[in-house]
Amino acid sequence: MNVPARTGAAPLWRSTSLLIRLRLRRLANAFIAGSNKKPGDKTRTGNPGKKSSKIVLYLAMPMMLFIFGAMTANSVLNLHGALDPPGSFWITVEFSTALTIGIAFLLFVLWLASLLVNIGSGELAKSEWDLEWLITLPIRSDTLLWARLAERSIVNPSGAIALIPACAAIAWYSGYRWAAPLIGVLAAWPMLLLAALVRTLIDTGLRLRMSAAQLRNLHAVISVMSIITMYLAISIGLKGKSEFMLGIAATMPDWLLYTPMGLTVRAINERDVADAALLVLALIAEVAVILWLGVQVLRHQLRNGVVSGGARDAERKTVTGDPAEPIRTSWLKLTAVHRRELALLRRDRNFLVQSLVLPLLIVGGQILLGTSGVASTMWTNPNVLASVAFGLAAYSLSMSAFQTLNSEGQALWLLYTFPCSIEEVLKDKAKLWGVLTLFYPLVLFAIGAFVAPSIGWTFLGAMLTALLGIPIYAFIAVALGVFGSNPLEQQPNQKVKPAYVYLYMSLSGLYIYAIVTPQPVQRLIFMVLSMLLAAALWQKARDQLGYLLDPDASPPPRVSTSDGLIAAMLFFVAQAVAAAVIIGRGRVTGAAVLFAFAIGGAVTYALMRYVYARTRTEGVPRILGDTNLPLTGIAVGLLAGAVGVVYLYTLDALHLLETAMREGKSYVSLGLWTLPLALVAAPLFEEFIFRGLIFGGLRRSFGLWPAALASAALFAILHPAFSILPVFVLGVCAAFVYERSRSLLAPMIVHAVYNAVVIGAQSFLL
Amino acid sequence: MIEFQQLTRTYGDFTAVHPLSLEIRQGEVFGFLGPNGAGKTTTIRMMMGILVPSGGRALINGLDCHSERALVQRHVGYLPDNPIYYDFLRGREILQFVAEMHGMGRREAAQQAVRMLAEFGLEEVVDEFAVNYSMGMKKKLGLACALIHDPQVLILDEPINGLDPRAAREVQDRLRQAAASGKTIFMSTHLLDMAEKVCTRVGIIHRGELTATGTLEELRERVNQNVSLEEVFLKVTEETAAP
Repeated sequence: MNVPARTGAAPLWRSTSLLIRLRLRRLANAFIAGSNKKPGDKTRTGNPGKKSSKIVLYLAMPMMLFIFGAMTANSVLNLHGALDPPGSFWITVEFSTALTIGIAFLLFVLWLASLLVNIGSGELAKSEWDLEWLITLPIRSDTLLWARLAERSIVNPSGAIALIPACAAIAWYSGYRWAAPLIGVLAAWPMLLLAALVRTLIDTGLRLRMSAAQLRNLHAVISVMSIITMYLAISIGLKGKSEFMLGIAATMPDWLLYTPMGLTVRAINERDVADAALLVLALIAEVAVILWLGVQVLRHQLRNGVVSGGARDAERKTVTGDPAEPIRTSWLKLTAVHRRELALLRRDRNFLVQSLVLPLLIVGGQILLGTSGVASTMWTNPNVLASVAFGLAAYSLSMSAFQTLNSEGQALWLLYTFPCSIEEVLKDKAKLWGVLTLFYPLVLFAIGAFVAPSIGWTFLGAMLTALLGIPIYAFIAVALGVFGSNPLEQQPNQKVKPAYVYLYMSLSGLYIYAIVTPQPVQRLIFMVLSMLLAAALWQKARDQLGYLLDPDASPPPRVSTSDGLIAAMLFFVAQAVAAAVIIGRGRVTGAAVLFAFAIGGAVTYALMRYVYARTRTEGVPRILGDTNLPLTGIAVGLLAGAVGVVYLYTLDALHLLETAMREGKSYVSLGLWTLPLALVAAPLFEEFIFRGLIFGGLRRSFGLWPAALASAALFAILHPAFSILPVFVLGVCAAFVYERSRSLLAPMIVHAVYNAVVIGAQSFLL
Repeated sequence: MIEFQQLTRTYGDFTAVHPLSLEIRQGEVFGFLGPNGAGKTTTIRMMMGILVPSGGRALINGLDCHSERALVQRHVGYLPDNPIYYDFLRGREILQFVAEMHGMGRREAAQQAVRMLAEFGLEEVVDEFAVNYSMGMKKKLGLACALIHDPQVLILDEPINGLDPRAAREVQDRLRQAAASGKTIFMSTHLLDMAEKVCTRVGIIHRGELTATGTLEELRERVNQNVSLEEVFLKVTEETAAP
């Protein structure tokens, strides 16, 4: 037996490629986890088997690359305008020295921003589990360090997004056309290597020197710096916002030409092949020397081992003076959950910065850099002020309330040992953040009230809408956070599912409409919708709570309020599409409206039933059941109709009826086609959606009255403005009848009878 | 007190726990024995409502552990195999939080927490962040969390795994004490001498199936006279390992 001697350690290239492959494999596993599970899959995977969509990620990456490319292209144009003598013909392929320095400065700022973002997105104070493990493998430690640098230079999304499009844009302006992206990738790599070096020096080296508390503070500072640098980098490419950075660029010294950034720009721009080769060589040599020096520093840092002390948080604070903290009685009723959350917020600087400081910086930066002039109109237009205030709070909620489960993290098991539902804990947290995030809006409104010449109803209305929206969105954020977070995940960047953050952001964006709309009715509609949305999402989240720590079981499908909301939206969209197809350019006729309504309703009904059948959902509403109560239906329908008739006569007596009829669409204008529409189609489809799904869904989580009122409110606001009141009454009546009968026939009869009575009265009056 | 009715758990097509039926009476100290990956922790997590049974149910005090979790938890104390705590909270604060969540008043919870920690020999690290604790300290803190509301049922996942001999002895004594005061204890372990010392009855689970239950004497009789529990364990898990 002659076994080849395997002395020494694995060679550099081998360990490097192994490490990179390991990292890429982990990335790939994380990327496709959950989405590639086949039904017949017998293997026991470590990945959660619950479905998750990565579509946002696939879409976002190319979009980001494109946006950054366009931005750098603009930056180069701005730099040219600022640094080259006016009037000079500029796309000369060869950059002037001043422009080269300017572009090198641009690259430097981008490099710094991406580096800070990269460090800030990780968690500095958490020990690096993989280095601790890798150091036990038979790899020499400097091999390991080189491999780590190489790996980090390749797997660095924020660096790639910032630098590759930038270098490609520079190559584009240097006359390379379609080869520019390739050159961009090659040219960005040396800078990515340097970024990897600095990052490793900070997160591997500094960790050994500093205590966990210091690291947390440093991390908080880096997060703040990263946002500021990012905005500064972006501002160079914006029209009218770039003066500050262009001014700095103009004062940059000549030696910037000899830094890696300067050499990169010159190498790309140089037309002479020999000179370009020389520049590339110089660049490589320079980067190599810097890397070598860096690795020596790292080796020095790591001379005493790769972990410090052994404790994860080395902060050993021994306060022994007063064992039981003096208990203060306060007028605020705080639960144990509130007090714990506040203690964490007080001690964890990073959490504090992330949830309360960063939103201010980000929203503030957007406003200052934006072209819409929000910064100037904010203090004169209360709607703009209220929108900004709400946006700030909503953003803050996405960093706090949305992260509710993630802040529990691995300690989530503790919640399962308490004799209270997890929903209660989440409610406590939603309330806490709903109140805490009121802080910035209140400050803004205070300033606004001080600055404003007078405080009118518009100011109060906008302010009230914004302030009411914040608690609603705190609940929405917590509910979406239940779906959008991975509390057991070790990697900080995997803890949040981006799709849900974007969903939350777009939902918050919708509420801005409620603030800026001039019509009070629409404001009301939006608030009702938002509250219903919050209830629906909360219900979905609550169903999920028993299954949080279960890797692959999901709650049994049940009819939920959110299904009703989806069905309602689908109904309106399908109806609009059908109407557009049928009517085309022709006249609006009663028949067309009836057909569009019927098609929209039938499509919605069929789709919902199909989905319910496929998922074997429990509690799907039935039209005929054990108790149908048709007579009750007729009686209640007459009652609701009577209310409608009284309302109509009141309007008529006040001479409001005719104007109201002219403004709103009315059944009467459609002629005889009204009858099948109002007596058959509308009751059939609308009762299924509003009573069957929405009221039925709400009823699962709420009492009879709240569920009936909320579903009726939604039902009412989707009708023409003048009929909101009687339709609301109809909705409540139908809900009560449905509660009794448990089948849809009776509420359908209520609806049909009501329509018959009211239409009769209308034709009599007009 | 504790009852499993055809309790089953599958992961995809993999069956981690085959239909399991078992009843544990009040005051029993039941040892749930089995090799690594036999399904012990899965079963315990189903009892705690952390995992959802794929079939059947687990009952404690006649209440379903999944659908009525919050009610069940009022009388249950739980120690996981690897307790992880909140960052930035001191041992005392965690224990006080747990006590408050069990409905104790704030002042009472604070006093109780300090008292329990002293009882568990943790008074020196009361004001240290719990993430800094050693494995043994974390387990002791976990046990304090499990006992602070004086539960009727204790569910312990590997309670002395990773403890030094002295700490292990202390925990065993404490468990015997708890059993003597009428508590029902359900604990998983693969440390057989611990089971021999503490348990009144054991069940051996292997590949998700309960292969033997009974008192130690009954199990010994089943295999052979006068052998150690280790022999019984090896014998029982070997028999079923063969196809």
